[in-house]
Amino acid sequence: MKVLSRQARLPHEAPIEARGLVKRYRDVPAVDGVDLTVQPGDIYGFLGPNGAGKTTTLRMFLGLVRPDAGSVRLFGREAAKDGIGALQGVAGFIEEPRLYPYLNGRENLQLLAAFDRGGQGEAAIDEVLEMVELRDRGGDRVSEYSQGMRQRLGIASCLVRQPRLLLLDEPANGVDPAGLRYMRELLGRLSDEGITILLSSHLLAEVQQVCTRVAMISRGRIVYEGGMDELTRAAGRRYRLEAADIDRAARVCRSLPTVDDVRSDHGELSFRVDDDDGLEALVAALVDARVGIRALIPETDSLERLFFELTDEPVAVTA
Amino acid sequence: MIGGALIAYRWELRKLIAQKRNWLGIAAASLIPVIFLISIQISKVTIHPPDGPYDTPLGLNLRQTGLALDLVVFKLIGVIGPTLIAALVAGDIVAGEDMGGTLKTILVRSVRRGEVLAGKALALLTYLVVALVVYAVAGVLVGVIAWGFHPLINLSGHQISALHALGLTVVALALYALPVVAIASFGLLLSVVTRHSVAAIAGTLLYALALQGLSALSPIASVHPYLLINQLTAWHDLFQTPMAGDAIVRCLWVSAAFALPPLVAAWVVFTRRDVTT
Repeated sequence: MKVLSRQARLPHEAPIEARGLVKRYRDVPAVDGVDLTVQPGDIYGFLGPNGAGKTTTLRMFLGLVRPDAGSVRLFGREAAKDGIGALQGVAGFIEEPRLYPYLNGRENLQLLAAFDRGGQGEAAIDEVLEMVELRDRGGDRVSEYSQGMRQRLGIASCLVRQPRLLLLDEPANGVDPAGLRYMRELLGRLSDEGITILLSSHLLAEVQQVCTRVAMISRGRIVYEGGMDELTRAAGRRYRLEAADIDRAARVCRSLPTVDDVRSDHGELSFRVDDDDGLEALVAALVDARVGIRALIPETDSLERLFFELTDEPVAVTA
Repeated sequence: MIGGALIAYRWELRKLIAQKRNWLGIAAASLIPVIFLISIQISKVTIHPPDGPYDTPLGLNLRQTGLALDLVVFKLIGVIGPTLIAALVAGDIVAGEDMGGTLKTILVRSVRRGEVLAGKALALLTYLVVALVVYAVAGVLVGVIAWGFHPLINLSGHQISALHALGLTVVALALYALPVVAIASFGLLLSVVTRHSVAAIAGTLLYALALQGLSALSPIASVHPYLLINQLTAWHDLFQTPMAGDAIVRCLWVSAAFALPPLVAAWVVFTRRDVTT
């Protein structure tokens, strides 16, 4: 097999280009003017609370639901005009992978491979079963699979289609921590092979760890779209400081332009810095001011706070 | 179009085979004539004067030739027997996948919705034909074992050879299947529209019962020959001398008239509707 570089394998056209997408159920807008572009090679996080419109948007991408307005183009092909032809090179599942419980894992893949009409043989099925670590259990009925195994078989059912774009809706649902780590590694490997991935989730941490770009949706509208790095920067980085002289430390923090939102609470300081340079400057200033630093702890919930602010959800801490 | 429908058809058959409850329908179809034969053997109903099963078309042939068994049971099981088997599969064939979520799995592959539905309709037809063939074979086998392979006295009182009667039984089976398929096509429509197996199965049974109720209403006696239920006895024409053809021709077009609109409606709804949870 000829080995191509990741860049060479990437398609030229945007895997997903949605414009003005609208879907209403009984006059209630589930999706309300969604514009979204997924670029080749992205691991694109589609983030939003439950009921925000993620799944309906994905259904429209996959042609399961007709938009009331707007358009979806997949690799330049318009779903409304090209029908199932627009799904060439596209695979995914909605909500969770649903497979036939009375057939075994291998039979499910054979069925879906037949429905793909691509002529994938047993070798391709063996390969994807191996990839999702289910080769030994391929002969077992799906009804006997654990939730994590079903999720993995769901991924296999997508991969047997040999997609260039993978749409995964909440793939971490019901998966244990080991399964989550495996899922992250698998998505990384697939991305390295040139597959563009759209990962829909309500879990910020899941998206933060694997995605390069992200869109946030709330009440059917996109409230943020951009790079994961930009989002992290926009959220800023918060730290907690425990110091011998907390008042002097607070004065030092407030004197620096790269530090803001300084708060003092229970003998601790909490503040925001823009970047690593700002943090280094602060530490140097504290040392110069002879403030004894006992602990400097990064807070992990700053992005989460931004997420909740953008999506108008009450602030809560997720695992 | 045909290629995708054949793929869907092949896998629909595999799915039907893989589900135990579908075997129950086939088992029931094979047991009906056996149970009937046993009940005849142990019953005290008399042939002279004819009573019970003997007082049905071709009933006087019971105990005289095994070939009569299938034909008499056709009459006795009425509408409910074949409707029940048709409804159980037709009502579930789309709705079951909708409820189980597998419909959205297959509809994002490369077979068009219309092809998926065509594959399901063909698989449903195949299942019904297999059930009827199993019923017929079981009936002939146990009938011949119990009562022999002898000539049959037809509805006009003429004797026809055993081999001829067997050939006519096969044709009768095909004619009997037509209205059953029409009922199943309504079940398929309900399966698409209701998206709920139990509702579709119950709706199909109610539909058949309603049609049967219509066929009993004397104020509309003039339209009785054109009701679907009445086509279940069209095969009687085969056992007349000379053989009549009116009811057979009517069975063909009435069954088609009842089968096609639900099929078209199912296709329109299935190919256009949103697939949601």
